[in-house]
Amino acid sequence: MRGAIPRINLEKCTGCGDCVEWCPTDAVALVNEKAVVVSPDDCYYCTDCEPVCPPGAIRCPFEIILAITQPRAPKEE
Amino acid sequence: MLSAADLLKTLPYFETLGTDAIEHITREVLEFSFARGEVLFLEGESCRGLYVIKSGQVRIFKTSPEGREQVLLVAKPGDSFNDVPVFDGGPNPASASALEESTIYLIPTEVALSLLTDCPIAVSILKLFAVRLRHLTMMVEDLSFRSVVGRMAKLLLDLAVVEDGPSPVRRLTQDEMAAMVGSVRDMIGRALKHIERAGAIKIEGQRIMVVAPEKLREMM
Repeated sequence: MRGAIPRINLEKCTGCGDCVEWCPTDAVALVNEKAVVVSPDDCYYCTDCEPVCPPGAIRCPFEIILAITQPRAPKEE
Repeated sequence: MLSAADLLKTLPYFETLGTDAIEHITREVLEFSFARGEVLFLEGESCRGLYVIKSGQVRIFKTSPEGREQVLLVAKPGDSFNDVPVFDGGPNPASASALEESTIYLIPTEVALSLLTDCPIAVSILKLFAVRLRHLTMMVEDLSFRSVVGRMAKLLLDLAVVEDGPSPVRRLTQDEMAAMVGSVRDMIGRALKHIERAGAIKIEGQRIMVVAPEKLREMM
């Protein structure tokens, strides 16, 4: 399963390129003057692009999950 | 000095009541005297009723587990307090102690509520307001006594649900978390790292996995 990537609202994106400049792994690039995660496998969800986006077009939400440890089913003989 | 009936008539709660109703309350009112520093009631105890100050001053306050205090109100003659539990039926949301020698009227809960029996919708509305006010009082407690780490630990505990369970998984950005705990994004990032280092959560990509709820409780 591929990891999560930032969500970019292309309608809000002004193509300023701040996220491209800021991204530590060069996972984001401008395509047709809009920010796009072009190398999703390189994105490790540091979320640094979210606060640098002037129009707030980038969102990096976190899921808050309660991990439960399931008791292991006994092995069948 | 004003009689109990005269004082009660000046309260915003009772200013529209007729003489009969005021006399009814006056008959049921209990009068207590407290020395300076004496405790009237404690947070968490069951509510006895609505308090009105006849003379003196009373401090209404919350106490942190470490013993720090946050004063919510200094009540003076003619002020009423402990309204919230009267109307929402819960325990006292804060403690009260006399700042000086004080005489207090106590209007028992059932007497205060008996004034509303003819108007059930008023009871419902007041209950709703009281629940909201109690929630705000708890927010004051959180903001006063808990560090950002403590508030984040509480938020994570409150919101974490099992994946594929009956409740949907909450998805929040760090800015949204900051708004919910009264902080800023940078502090949230640091708090999450601190909580992860302590072994209470694991951050895997976009997933914050609460792996040790008991550790979060210790941080609150």
